[in-house]
Parts: sequence; C-alpha cells; structure tokens
Amino acid sequence: MSSRLWRRLQQELNQASAASPGSWTWTWISSSSSCCRPRAGLRSEPCRGLSGSSRGTMNVFNREMKKRQKNWAASLQDGHQYDYLRDEVGGRVADRVYDIARTFPLALDIGGGKSHIAEHLSKDVVERLFLTDISESTLVRARRQTEIPTHCILADEEFLPFKENTFDLVMSSLSLHWINDLPGALRQIHQVLKPDGVFIGAMVGGETLYELRCSLQLAETEREGGFSPHVSPYTAVTDLGNLLGQAGFNMLTVDIDDVQVHYPGIIEVMTDLQGMGESNCAWNRRSMLHRDTILAAAAIYKEMYGNEDGSVPATFEILYMIGWKPHESQAKPAKRGSATASFGELSKISRPNNTDKS
Amino acid sequence: MSGPNVWSRSREKLRIFPELFAQCGGEAAAYGKCVAATTTGRQELTRDLCAKEFEALKTCFTNAAKKRVK
Repeated sequence: MSSRLWRRLQQELNQASAASPGSWTWTWISSSSSCCRPRAGLRSEPCRGLSGSSRGTMNVFNREMKKRQKNWAASLQDGHQYDYLRDEVGGRVADRVYDIARTFPLALDIGGGKSHIAEHLSKDVVERLFLTDISESTLVRARRQTEIPTHCILADEEFLPFKENTFDLVMSSLSLHWINDLPGALRQIHQVLKPDGVFIGAMVGGETLYELRCSLQLAETEREGGFSPHVSPYTAVTDLGNLLGQAGFNMLTVDIDDVQVHYPGIIEVMTDLQGMGESNCAWNRRSMLHRDTILAAAAIYKEMYGNEDGSVPATFEILYMIGWKPHESQAKPAKRGSATASFGELSKISRPNNTDKS
Repeated sequence: MSGPNVWSRSREKLRIFPELFAQCGGEAAAYGKCVAATTTGRQELTRDLCAKEFEALKTCFTNAAKKRVK
C-alpha cells in the first residue's frame, strides 16, 4: 500500500469530522490492480493474492467478473426484489452488533453493497461507518438510507486500503464467500482492527444450495456423461474456527443459521441468484448450460426435493462468526495451579436455601 | 422479440420455461424418479440411462412450446 493512499485517507478522515450528521462522502481508492506491485506480471494474468504467503493462496474466483456481475445486478430496475436474503442476514448481523454493549466510534463494513447492516443500526451504536464494496454501481445507485454518516470506498476485500489499528468494529455480510484468499483476508481484517476490536461476519457456507448443485450434477451426468461445478465451493463450519484462530482472533463464536427459501422452480432459483449478484464467477466454470440439461435438472429438482404444493426449496446455510482482537482486558484461561476447588468436591456442594436469599 | 441479440432471446425463452414446464408434470416426475432411483439403488448413473423418459419429457415440452406460439 502506498503511503500516498494513507495520507489521502487521513485527510479524508479529518475533513469528514466536520461533515453534518446523516451525510456521506465519497472516496475513490483505486481497485486491486493498481495496488499490485509492478513486478506482479501481466495485467491479464489472474492476480495472485499479495497478502500472506503466495504458496497457500488459491485463485478460485474471477474478481473482475464478480465486479461486473454486481454492477449489472445493481443497475437492474427492480433489483430490490432480490434483496430479501441480504436484508434478513443484515438484520441478524445488526442484532449481534447490538448484543455487544459498546459504542463503536469507527466501523467498517466489508463488501457491504447496498449497506444492509447499517440500515438497522443507530448512531449510538456506531458513530461513523466506512462502507467498501468491489462494485461502484452498488455504492452509488442502490445504497440504503441510514442515519450513520457513511463514507463509501471502492475497494477489494482482499486488499483493504486501511492502516493498522484503525477500526473498532468490522462487519461483513454475505461477501466473504467470493474471496480467493480467505485466510489472508481474515488476517487483514485482524490488522485493521484496534486491540479489543471485534469482527462480526456472516457468510454462506456448508451445505448452501446443495439441492441446486445435486440437481445440476445429476442432470449433466445423465444427459452429457460428465459434470462440471456450477455452485462455488463453500467453507465448512468446522474450518471456520480454525481460520479465525489462525488469523489471530480470540474468543470466537461461530453459529449456523439455516434459511430455506421456497421457489416455484429451478429457473426462479437461478434468476434470483443472478439478480442478487451471486452468479458463478469461478475460473473453472463452464460458460453454458445445455437446454436439455436445464430441462432435466428442473425435473430432477422437483422430483427429489419438491414440496407437496409444487414449490422447491433452496437452502442457504449462513455461518455467523464473531472474533475479537486480543487485548489485556480480555478474559484469559486461568493459570495452572490456581484452582481453589476440586471437581471431586462437587457432590459436597449443598443446594442454596431459597429463604436465605435477600 | 424484446431484442435482437442472443442474450435477450435466451432470457425470453427462460422466462416462459416455467409455464411450459408446468404442463409436463407427469413426464417430469417419471424422469425425476428414474434419476433419483440411481442415488439410492446400487446402479450408477451413466449417460442416457433414462433416455426414454427424457425423450417423452422433451416431446411434451416442445409440444407445449408449439401450442403456445399458436
């Protein structure tokens, strides 16, 4: 990251403190390709992650394609009808923010898009918000209203353009599943957090869209003799704890929410996913789907997973994670040898007498 | 036609797909059952295992499309 970028951000922050409440200001920090060091190779080559060791970096998703898909989704006339999932998850993440009895002077929403989380937050919980997304159209056209003064920044989640120890709260809702180098991104989030700062995230994972995946796989096998992946690979909930721990977070909380949405058929599932900006952008994706395969997949989906009333379910498994940046004030495991009671004495503990309570 | 290019023509066809598919419920169920049987039974799913059922489904679908154009 160039120091010029940081100085511009510092100036932004100083200016913004004079801005009136409820307003938002623009900062355009150029996207990942210009943040790359010049030795990174040809522009047309998929850019390997610069964060962390390049040996462990995977390059699964075409981020440029994802940006185009999100721009397209944001420019739809009736795009708000596809926002139901993001709204729901944004509300639940906001609930988790409220559960922490603190006021956060500076918060960051990574991949926030239309700002679904801040919609539910109030100024006494978050005083100032930075909203980043990879897609400009989403930030400009489709942003939701919130009373928190917001700065919109065009930035890639894998290349956060912020200084260390800046934010008290980092949130992310339904955007981590398109990141190539998830360990690296979590480490960057850990870096930009202040000590005793918290990261609250929600990502789709585990068994999301297994019905769609299986139907397409069976249809392609039967019709064409082989199959290619159409649904992106997800993080399992068991891996998430390890990932957060490796990134340096403390006091982890991970839980799962199963959201099942019922659709008339497979075409509506795919149309809605496209409208949400969640189309496939993996490098290994096949660029077309035969009409026979679509017909076969529709029949299989309905037969294998359909409900009595003719609708089909689509499962979204949302993984919520909370991680804290270490700080001395946080509770630590007790030192060895400091126990004052033994488990063997459990049987000797008498029940408290209710009349003694004042 | 809503547009001159492949993109808009494909999207138009996909838009009417559910309507046509709804008219072929029986054939679709037969095909679906044939494929679903391989997931529980011992037989592996290979290419064209359920070709007969699929042909019936496809014929029904194309007839529905022809009727709709009329």
